Amino acid sequence: MWMAGMTFSEKMLKIDRRIIFLMIGLCTLLPLLYPVGLPIKTSSEVRGVYDHIESLPEGSVFLLSIDFDPASKPELYPQAIALLRHAFKKNLRVITMTLWVSGTGMADQLVTQVAKEMGKENGTDYTFLGWSPGGQAVIINMGQDLYSAYPSDYRGKPTKELPILEGVRSLKDVGYMVSLGAGRPGVEEWYVFGKDKYKFEMGGGCTGVMAPGLYPLLRSGQINGLIGGLRGAAEYENLIGKKGKAVAGMDAQSATHLAIIALVIMCNLFYFSLRQQRG
Amino acid sequence: MPFEMIVGAWVATGLTLLIFSFLYKDNPLFKLAEHLYVGVSVGYVSVKTYDTVIVHLVVKPIVENGEIALLIPVAIGMLMLTRYVPKAAWMSRYAFAFIVGMGAGLAIPRTVSSFILKQVEDTIRPLLSMTGSDGVTFSMNLLNPASHLNAIIILIGVSSVLFYFFFSIEHSGVGKAVARTGILFLMISFGAGFGYTVMARMSLLIGRLTDLIEFSDTSYGRPTVWLSLLTVGALFLLARRGREQPPDIH
Repeated sequence: MWMAGMTFSEKMLKIDRRIIFLMIGLCTLLPLLYPVGLPIKTSSEVRGVYDHIESLPEGSVFLLSIDFDPASKPELYPQAIALLRHAFKKNLRVITMTLWVSGTGMADQLVTQVAKEMGKENGTDYTFLGWSPGGQAVIINMGQDLYSAYPSDYRGKPTKELPILEGVRSLKDVGYMVSLGAGRPGVEEWYVFGKDKYKFEMGGGCTGVMAPGLYPLLRSGQINGLIGGLRGAAEYENLIGKKGKAVAGMDAQSATHLAIIALVIMCNLFYFSLRQQRG
Repeated sequence: MPFEMIVGAWVATGLTLLIFSFLYKDNPLFKLAEHLYVGVSVGYVSVKTYDTVIVHLVVKPIVENGEIALLIPVAIGMLMLTRYVPKAAWMSRYAFAFIVGMGAGLAIPRTVSSFILKQVEDTIRPLLSMTGSDGVTFSMNLLNPASHLNAIIILIGVSSVLFYFFFSIEHSGVGKAVARTGILFLMISFGAGFGYTVMARMSLLIGRLTDLIEFSDTSYGRPTVWLSLLTVGALFLLARRGREQPPDIH
């Protein structure tokens, strides 16, 4: 708390943290209520995923692994929606699954919602395989025999009877694979136990926290694209020309970042000014 | 609007506000939401795991398709439970040995290949290149990750950071300068990591606030408005009760 005789710098450095929370809250809320529409520049890593899907011929197999749960929904859900919209628009055969048991219900809701919106039929145009236990072991199993890893889809229909899986025996038959991961198992496991072993092309999507750790894989060409956080989702929404929740959140993101930069600068100024006063 | 959507909106709004109430101060409303979150998560995972593993991957194939071979992994799995019987606990070692052996066998070669060999291969890049009639070329574009300038920066960064963690010789003279360069690269890396973390946390806040704005609509019955008032009222009452109660001297 503030005490008598405190200098301005001291008062500022001991400010009630709830004032900072309120400030950040307002910086987030106001742009969401009154959007400005700041421009969004597409990065080469997001374009890498988009360009590869764009290059796939109609009917190619696209595997999307939804490796997150509702805790990471604000960042990865818009990415998944944008990717599914793009794949359905390109008439790809979309196989979806999850390695996270806690994300099963959410993943099913997500896939069903986008497929319904795009007029796609379950079993013919897409399938949701659900969750299978084992993490990395599931990936290896899928690389050997997809039907042994997933004998039935999420709705209990035998996978061998699904028209969408015609000609697909293992991961080697996948045209392109994207893992949207919020941790482990996720992008790294798909690369290590999937792509590196069974040689299919792969991209990734991840939360902002994970993005710096995945850049080395991107730079070395181990993955051909990376969608990082809400910002990456907004870039992808822009690329497919269908703006959603990610683009809507970008103004708020920019405003909060500016507020945080301002706070960091101010804190440093007050700290150094106090140090100077004390000699 | 379907009834379950409206109920879902009220529950989601209420729990979000209860969690946000922690920003004011720790309180019983936050604890309620926190415990609910843990309980529901564990319950959901338990039910899903039981249904997928026990029912669909073990019981049904054995009973309906007669896949007796599945009894082998089931038996290995059951050995784990002997940990709870002290006299038979030694049997669980066979199950652990199987898991550790299989896990290590699968992970070590793949991890070495993916994270060490591939990364080393990418780090050691040519610092100059020969292109057709142009002869020796050197690209200075900082924005191109494959440029020669970036290859030099990576070389300096990797070498200096590795030297910083080399404690067998004293970091003095030239060694000090190299170690300091390593610290500089580490700081830039931590800064980038922190920046992305801030972005991620703000995205989560944006996600919740977007939902709260959506649920302030009349089609949901304005749960954001009513439940915000209720949460603020409850916090006010709790704060007043806290002031009236004498502090516990024990």
